[in-house]
Amino acid sequence: MNRALAFTERNIKELLRDPLSYIFCLGFPLIMLIIMSILNSSIPPEAHMTVFRIDNLCGGIAMFGQTFVMLFTALTVSQDRSGSFLVRMYASPMRPADLVTGYTFPMLIIAAGQALITIVSSVIISLTENVTLEPLGLIAAFFTLIPSALMFTAIGVIFGTLFNEKAAPGLCSIIISLGSFLGCIFFDAESTGGVMLTICKCFPFYYCTKSVRSATALDFAADTFLLPLAVTAVAAVVFTVIAALAFRAKMRADLS
Amino acid sequence: MYAIETKQLVKKYKEKTAVKGIDLTVNEGEFFALLGVNGAGKTTTARMLTCLSAPTAGEAFVNGHSVLTERDAVKAVTGISPQDTAVAEKLTVRENLALMTKVYGLSPEKQKERIEAMLTELGLSEYADVRAKTLSGGWKRRLSIAMALISEPKVLFLDEPTLGLDVLARRELWRVMRKLKGSMTVILTTHYMEEAEELADRIAIMIDGRIAALGSLAELEAQTGKTGLEDAFIAIAEGGEEE
Repeated sequence: MNRALAFTERNIKELLRDPLSYIFCLGFPLIMLIIMSILNSSIPPEAHMTVFRIDNLCGGIAMFGQTFVMLFTALTVSQDRSGSFLVRMYASPMRPADLVTGYTFPMLIIAAGQALITIVSSVIISLTENVTLEPLGLIAAFFTLIPSALMFTAIGVIFGTLFNEKAAPGLCSIIISLGSFLGCIFFDAESTGGVMLTICKCFPFYYCTKSVRSATALDFAADTFLLPLAVTAVAAVVFTVIAALAFRAKMRADLS
Repeated sequence: MYAIETKQLVKKYKEKTAVKGIDLTVNEGEFFALLGVNGAGKTTTARMLTCLSAPTAGEAFVNGHSVLTERDAVKAVTGISPQDTAVAEKLTVRENLALMTKVYGLSPEKQKERIEAMLTELGLSEYADVRAKTLSGGWKRRLSIAMALISEPKVLFLDEPTLGLDVLARRELWRVMRKLKGSMTVILTTHYMEEAEELADRIAIMIDGRIAALGSLAELEAQTGKTGLEDAFIAIAEGGEEE
């Protein structure tokens, strides 16, 4: 555990000293929140379009921000693999579990910071829009974001492990696009219905957004909160296990 | 007990056999060079001895521990400075050293003591709080060696430590390596003749995955009737494999 903590400490320091982590993980979601709120103010009330209203946007952007944590995780892992740093770690008493834990913890911390900034910014924007955000709902939303943060971090570890530093970010950008689209962050799939809604329901992103939005609205019903949260949690566990297995397999292949 | 002992060590990669059954012994405290051109099998041999690569056949022991069955014990007594600079770029010199002390599970008191010792012994004190990415190539290699030494390994592997360095940085690093002589077993892989000649007690010349000749500089000179390692090396390489 001490080895994992040592590697966690290294990764936190490396992240905090990289300007890209601030731009991608903290800045970009914030900018999206502001732009979408400006867009919302331009939509006439008679359109009855609420997807860009801050009470809906808050959870959606918080989830969207996590996709950038995934990108950053993939970059960190793939960059370490491209150099000799991991060779040194492989030659030391470090085990695959120590390394995967060391990559995951810092990203969860970044994701928590990102969620906090998104929520605080949403509160500020809500004051200008005369929309009430329930404090308890926001606290619930913060904790509801944990499984999806774990899921996106695990996906980042998988891409960083399986692909090089040039391919991994490109593949992550596909997931970012899919996540924003199929997560129904910027459109209302429930209203659209049909095939589109069915497709969205086939991916975990939809459930991530739905559970966080429900938590924000203090709606803890089984079908709107518990079930989506359970699906997200299962996806997080599945992707985390895949990430650990992929990393171990890659490490063994590197050492063969 | 030998610091290193290999018995018919083989490494195959699909169709290519990188190391073709080498038998080797290195004494404790010896500065031993694996010399050869690119692709001779030096790094592959070092990788097998540091448990970074599993042998296809044969066996190797490091300080009496098998690389096949006692990997943790081997890792505990070895230190490695890989071919590329293996440092955490955004950490300071001190933080890089601290990371390694924690990875090797040193006590807090020991961590402090070893970090200060490495900063002093490797002449890194001036750069202790400088981020690794701002260091020159030579200083990064020096940090890399310090990171390998911090756990007080019994056997230190230096894989092409001066590759790509300018002549002044190379000479400076030689001074650092020369200080290690006698204090631990050092396995140096290099393709620079003058480096092996300058530093090594004994030299194994690797050609095409085999040890073509092994001995001190004087022994290699006597064996080939040439003066200087470069001429001896060429004579051995042109004379074909002896083992």
